[in-house]
Amino acid sequence: MNNPPAPDAGAPRRPTDWRGTAMQRRIRRRYAAERRFRLIGLGAVVLSAGFLAFLLITMLSNGIAGFTRTEVTLPIDFRAAQLDVTPQQLESRGADLALAGAGLEELVERSATAAFGAHGPDVISPHAWTGVRDALKDDPSLLNRKAAISVPVSQDLKSALDGAGKPEMQAIAAKLKQHDMIGSSFDFGFLMSADSTDPTDVGIWGAVKGSLFTMLVTLAIAFPIGVLSAVYLEEYARKNRWTDLIEVSINNLAAVPSIIFGLLGLAVFLSFMNLPRSASLVGGLTLALMIMPVIVIASRNAIKAVPPSIRDAALGVGASKVQVIFHHVLPLALPGILTGTIIGMARALGETAPLLMIGMRAFIAQPPEGLTDPATVLPVQIFLWSDQISRGFVERTSAAIIVLLLFLLAMNALAIYLRNRFETRW
Amino acid sequence: MFGRLTVIAAAAIAVTGCSQDSSRDYMKIVGSSTVYPFSTAVAEAMVNANPSLKTPVIESTGTGGGMKLFCNGVGVQHPDIEDASRRMTPGEFQTCTQNGVDGIMEIQVGMDGVAFAESKKGPKLELTRADIYRALAANPMGKQQTAKFWNDVNPKLPHTPIQVFGPPSTSGTRDALAELILAKGCKEVDPQAAKLEESDKDAFKDRCQRIREDGAYVDKGENDNIIVQNLTVSPNAIGIFGYSYLEENRDRLNGVPVNGVEPTYANIADRSYPGARPLFIYVKKQHLNAVPGMKQFLHEYTQMWDPDGPLVAKGMIAAPADIRQQSERIIDQGTTITAETLADDELH
Repeated sequence: MNNPPAPDAGAPRRPTDWRGTAMQRRIRRRYAAERRFRLIGLGAVVLSAGFLAFLLITMLSNGIAGFTRTEVTLPIDFRAAQLDVTPQQLESRGADLALAGAGLEELVERSATAAFGAHGPDVISPHAWTGVRDALKDDPSLLNRKAAISVPVSQDLKSALDGAGKPEMQAIAAKLKQHDMIGSSFDFGFLMSADSTDPTDVGIWGAVKGSLFTMLVTLAIAFPIGVLSAVYLEEYARKNRWTDLIEVSINNLAAVPSIIFGLLGLAVFLSFMNLPRSASLVGGLTLALMIMPVIVIASRNAIKAVPPSIRDAALGVGASKVQVIFHHVLPLALPGILTGTIIGMARALGETAPLLMIGMRAFIAQPPEGLTDPATVLPVQIFLWSDQISRGFVERTSAAIIVLLLFLLAMNALAIYLRNRFETRW
Repeated sequence: MFGRLTVIAAAAIAVTGCSQDSSRDYMKIVGSSTVYPFSTAVAEAMVNANPSLKTPVIESTGTGGGMKLFCNGVGVQHPDIEDASRRMTPGEFQTCTQNGVDGIMEIQVGMDGVAFAESKKGPKLELTRADIYRALAANPMGKQQTAKFWNDVNPKLPHTPIQVFGPPSTSGTRDALAELILAKGCKEVDPQAAKLEESDKDAFKDRCQRIREDGAYVDKGENDNIIVQNLTVSPNAIGIFGYSYLEENRDRLNGVPVNGVEPTYANIADRSYPGARPLFIYVKKQHLNAVPGMKQFLHEYTQMWDPDGPLVAKGMIAAPADIRQQSERIIDQGTTITAETLADDELH
């Protein structure tokens, strides 16, 4: 045969001299290579963990302030002001209209001037009067007395409190601090309202609701279609040139840049089907197109991993093809299918580019009520705020990023839970 | 479980199938990212003053992108108002008319300036329109662009590399840069430019307004804050954006004087700054009575655009008094534009 000739055929074979210098050197080199490889691996992990930690730390340190609201106590004498509204009007449905006409905005400005001096109106947020309006609606008896109401401060005063901004504001800030009139509290408004033009008044709820609606549509379209395609391709389709072509196309689609799906959505859903622009329905449909290939690929792999012996056994005891699929194959493939779906959904949740094409990059100041209402989603809201002129939006942007990260974390945790819950090993 | 999913899917497809309802109770506004902050502020004030109205949906698409949507037709799915940081072009007006959009009101709401800015640590450049043209054009004087350093275009300028961050081609700021700075700088230095403008518009554009694409001019997308951030880390670079961004970042950035005029509020308001430009909104008159809130919106704009008004606090520059009066008259009388008024080169 082709065996290399032994060096000293005939001569008796000596045992390896492990203590010899040459052998020791070789052993040292092997150990060094092992250590090097381990360290490179560790270095890769440390590097990526470092990037992640940097992201999280900057986001948290910037964003925590975005969840709080700085308030100042504003004394208002409603009784002396003689607003042209009755307590009955305040309890009726036209309360907003009545108060808007009664000069409440001017009253709040006057009170601010009285309390904080000539720059008073600049101390409080331009939307402070809507807070006063809500306080009046909650308690109409305020109309007949003096009251001290906590209102949000303006962006100018906020930066002055941090030691920046205009000198006259810094003077007021110092005085207010001395008299202990500044407080801060958790900003529930941020979690409950929608977009606004003033950073002291914005909220994330509109975008969260838009994201939820969009994800709902995406899931309702992409999951059944994706899973059914995977079942058909794995269980029914014959292996021929056409199914090969389909397989290649699906793999290609999964790698297509998302902006192209945006253009497709624009052409099909807006121009051809005439669906409303900026609606979460269209956003959901577009993202469904985007993640469907991901779901098909994950589901096919999960279905492929179900051992054929299980199918054969079920067919052997007389089950129909549909029974085999629904009673045996799909339940066993479910953890893989769900993991793939949730990872696809997480990608859709973080997607911005295709949604810009279909008009979700918009100022929408009220949370959507239905699927066809104009809506925006979390990542687009973050994108919009990052482009705002006022610097107060920086911390709000970071706060919105934290909300988005929490969403993603929850979805991925669900994926892990579902996988562990349904996983079967054999 | 799968049965239920099928029902949900069927429901979703049913929702998809039904068409849009035939009326809309909120306004749709599209267009310039420069006018966006002002229109959103006006929209908010309008809803606070008239709580029964719904907040308008305002999309920031860039002036050019918005014009396409605006001129696409009349009806619920088309926007009512277009925010523009430059005038409508005759071509866009023609598209509008072809698609049945006749009766467009042109309202100048204020002014803005194309500001050139550098970091506080920057080389303190002072440019002229001609310098900017020579440094940024793709084919200055009809020759291939070769300038790498500012002193290549003008020996008096320092030996720092030409690196400019600016808006993309969909942006009205970019159009204003081409119109107000590049085209005029071109005519100053190139004797053939004026002749070319008469005879061959496309050749004129290629020679005078096309911006170089070899990496010295970096298109930073519609996000002007990104340009501001980039300037603070690269002190030799110059950024081009709307004046309000310079105003908000005065502690980090210096304005670059153009033709010896600093980009300041006063200089833009009296138009002595070469990069001063008007801001418009275009209103579809056919929608004026059909969509609730449009009249209130226009009224609110007139209340807020004064020199001591809230829009100026947001970074806009108020238009001169006579223009504000003229705009108010247009709103009152519903005057619409024609091809002739647009061709009239004189800005309001």
